[in-house]
Amino acid sequence: MIGALVALVVVASLALATWAVVFVVRDRAVVLRQLWAAAVVEALLLVQGVVQAVVLVRTGHAVSVPLFFGYVAAGLVLLPLAAAWAFAERTRWSSVVLAAAALVVAFLQLRLVQVWAG
Amino acid sequence: MRPTSGGFGRLLVLVYGVLALAATARGAVQVATAFHEAPLAYALSLVSGLVYGAATWALATDRRRTAWWCVGVELVGVLVIGAVSRVLPGDFPDQTVWSGFGSGYGYVPLVLPFVGLGWLWRTGRSGPDQ
Repeated sequence: MIGALVALVVVASLALATWAVVFVVRDRAVVLRQLWAAAVVEALLLVQGVVQAVVLVRTGHAVSVPLFFGYVAAGLVLLPLAAAWAFAERTRWSSVVLAAAALVVAFLQLRLVQVWAG
Repeated sequence: MRPTSGGFGRLLVLVYGVLALAATARGAVQVATAFHEAPLAYALSLVSGLVYGAATWALATDRRRTAWWCVGVELVGVLVIGAVSRVLPGDFPDQTVWSGFGSGYGYVPLVLPFVGLGWLWRTGRSGPDQ
């Protein structure tokens, strides 16, 4: 597993969560630029999923494949759905939802590391 | 009557959705890979995931009646399975969302039905429950 890639995804998703929390404090709804930021995190998730799959095949690392890629897929599915769900609400709760979703994405990365370690 | 999906309801639907995803995915993997080891627990795992999914959908689309039922089933499920898993740990591998009152999921499955019922009650106060 490439730790730097996991760290990058975690930092990016925590940055997105922080941005959303700032909006919660300022009583604002999610703006379009935050959706672009979420799209960047999504792209990083996709890259990291593909890279880990390649690493997995090439090193033959022993890991529960359904479990590992279940967590990869969970992040990929969750973030766009949650971002759209957040954007449809036009109160501060919109930003709360985006912040929560970004935190879940970061948490999924930690689970990914645990699953990889076995 | 306010829609169940607005304001705080947005967050509630997200949390329900995440739990639905977690429980359904886990249950599906368990049933597909090791069903014979603990058929009851693994089937229950999958069923609980589907109930969370139904609750997510009902809360998101303001279907109050369905939401009351789903959240009610979750409350009964977490209390009964939580108690059974404590009394008869051998019969219940610690592998469902409801085992140990949801301890494997930070007790979110125990807290969530109360929050869900409270939210349904609060948003439905000003009118009949339909």
